[in-house]
Amino acid sequence: MATDLGAVLGAARAQGPRRARGRRADRLPRPKLSRRGRTEARFFWLFVSPWLVGFLGFLLGPMIASVYISLTEWDSFTPPVFVGLDNYVQALTGDPVFWQALWNTFYYAAISVPLGLAVGLWLANLLNKRVRGRKFFRTMIYLPTLVPLVATAMVFKMVLAPSGPLNDLLGLVGVEGPNWLLDPLWVKPALIVLSAWGAGSATVLLLSAMNGIPREFYEAAEIDGAGPFRQFWSITFPQITPIIFFNLIMGLIGAFQIFSQVYILTQGGPDNASMMVVPLLFDQAFGFYHFGYASAVAWLLFVVIIGFTALAFRTSRRWVFYETEVR
Amino acid sequence: MNARARWIRGVAGTAVAVLGMSALAACGSGEDSGDGGVTTLTMTVWGGDVDKKSYQQRVDMLEEAHPDIKVDLQLIPSEQYEQKVQTMIAGGNGPDIMQVAEGVNVYSSKNQILPLDEYASKAGLDLSERFGPTGSLYSYEDKVYAIPDRSGAMIVYYNKDLFDAAGVDYPTADWTQEDAQAAMEKLTVPGKQWGYGGAGWWAQWWSFAYQNGGQIIDDAGAPTANSPEVVDALQWANDLTFKDHVVPTAAEYADMGPDMGGDPAFAAQKVAMNTTGFWAIGGLLEADFAWDIAPMWQGEEQAVSAFGSGLAISRDSESPDKAFEAIDYLTDTDAQQVIIDNAQDVPANVEVQQSDAFLKPEWATKDINMGAFAQSSDFVFTSPLIPEWNEMQAAFDDNLGTFWNEGGDAKTQLDAIQTELESIVGQG
Repeated sequence: MATDLGAVLGAARAQGPRRARGRRADRLPRPKLSRRGRTEARFFWLFVSPWLVGFLGFLLGPMIASVYISLTEWDSFTPPVFVGLDNYVQALTGDPVFWQALWNTFYYAAISVPLGLAVGLWLANLLNKRVRGRKFFRTMIYLPTLVPLVATAMVFKMVLAPSGPLNDLLGLVGVEGPNWLLDPLWVKPALIVLSAWGAGSATVLLLSAMNGIPREFYEAAEIDGAGPFRQFWSITFPQITPIIFFNLIMGLIGAFQIFSQVYILTQGGPDNASMMVVPLLFDQAFGFYHFGYASAVAWLLFVVIIGFTALAFRTSRRWVFYETEVR
Repeated sequence: MNARARWIRGVAGTAVAVLGMSALAACGSGEDSGDGGVTTLTMTVWGGDVDKKSYQQRVDMLEEAHPDIKVDLQLIPSEQYEQKVQTMIAGGNGPDIMQVAEGVNVYSSKNQILPLDEYASKAGLDLSERFGPTGSLYSYEDKVYAIPDRSGAMIVYYNKDLFDAAGVDYPTADWTQEDAQAAMEKLTVPGKQWGYGGAGWWAQWWSFAYQNGGQIIDDAGAPTANSPEVVDALQWANDLTFKDHVVPTAAEYADMGPDMGGDPAFAAQKVAMNTTGFWAIGGLLEADFAWDIAPMWQGEEQAVSAFGSGLAISRDSESPDKAFEAIDYLTDTDAQQVIIDNAQDVPANVEVQQSDAFLKPEWATKDINMGAFAQSSDFVFTSPLIPEWNEMQAAFDDNLGTFWNEGGDAKTQLDAIQTELESIVGQG
């Protein structure tokens, strides 16, 4: 993972100087701004200021602060005590729950993200067909995304009950369903089932991308004798890869930061089988008053997410197709 | 390339923004005003509608009796309370008066709330006279840090109809654990009705452990979670479910509905007995079956847990004298009676607990054995309110999840818990 990250940074550096040189060339003579230019510049700062204040004050500031906090032992009441990298060492070598939470989060992300994409893609492709009641189905598929998570979680508590509807359904095909939320082995799959519930938002994005594909492509393909499968894999799929890529990145980040579902459904139980990194971080900070440790966990998670995001970007040039970029 | 670079930067920017959510931020602001001889005190409490009504009523009484005090009452939903108050304190703006419970010593051990012994003696307030043994519950290193406000023992709720139908005598404080189990067995109809709601909550099975003469943390402050007394208690509580089947299993509870447990199952007549706090009374007043309450049964000795909360003064308070004056009033008989009049909770004030207002509350639609609370207060055990309370609870939860859901060996689990507790308490 570290090598991939380095490679990505290397790639970024390779692009860097060229851009920087170009900008410096612009700046060297530094043409005096006309009065209109000055007014425009003022308006620029005026209009960008809400974002700037928000970013510096509420995002960058706290982030930098949390780097410092992660190097201290701090209970939020008494002054922080600087402990160097102790919190990181503790997380990586002395806390089995951290590794368990990290593993659980990997497990969850590794299955829920591809599953969400596959389901989204499948639904979008179905909805893209000219079927009767298409609008109705689109609404129905997006609807679950609008239901507040708390309500969804409550419903899923019933759906996933040992003799609930899901297990009844499994019973019809002769499968004896597990005690989803009560069984350490099945609690993670249960959370993944719940995550598939939110596939509607990906579906909508993928669908709009599919609508944007020119008809001519399909017509040409048809004349060449391409069947539906061939058309999907040779036209639809490559055309929507940027959106799939976007959903992959956002899905990865979302999956690694899973919190509410765990908090509402299982509180990390049974026996930490569903404890994920963010709930762990939350407990450490607000339950046990270990802010330093929680911040260290937050940064470790940040590194993991950045690593996977970089990996996704790295592989993207092999499968993501941008039309504007002729190769 | 340019479009793509911008796209990538856009996605990366969004990524960073989303990531930023997990970075921690704490901020707080506000002000105290103390002009015109009137002191404004902020007071934070948790709870829902009933609590809001009760606290506001008591604060109104306080303001009338002490015109120089104004209270800005802030009711915070229970699940956010600790976090909110913690943020206020971290921002140097802690409330003057704050409600505290089992987590009290997180604050006291870090000097975030004031020791109140001197204030009490100055005000001529005798804690043991006003509150009985509960008076010193919220202590840390021999100093009292919170004045008890609400305090009720865990009690046994029983369904009279089901008891009569099974021909079982009603529970009393004289019952032993064996008597209780015998009754549970008679009251169980397999797959349909269970004798008891279960003891998976610390307040429940810890009571059994203390009844056996065990302790979770001994008097010297060392964990003793795997002592034979505690092991026996936990095994018994678990066997009631998985060996004797007189308590619904977690799976059976989950099938009854979301968030099902002893309290709602008792109200639905699925379990004949349930051990919980005062709060269940309100919901049962409208029940269409006959029920009553009794003090907890006993083991080798009598012991039962109690729940409640106290009022503390934060370090940040600019007028701790006034704050104590307010607390003194709020825990005195007049203001305490509001707690029972609104059916909110058991007032900590012993005099009120023994008054007619408590024993025959106006809202009671039937005779309820309210004396059970006063009777129980004689044998309430002192919970080990260590500063690491939340971590201790997590250690139990982390190791007992499967145990409660599927059964298991209490000794094995408690050995693991003991090891964790030793490292948690050792850190202090």
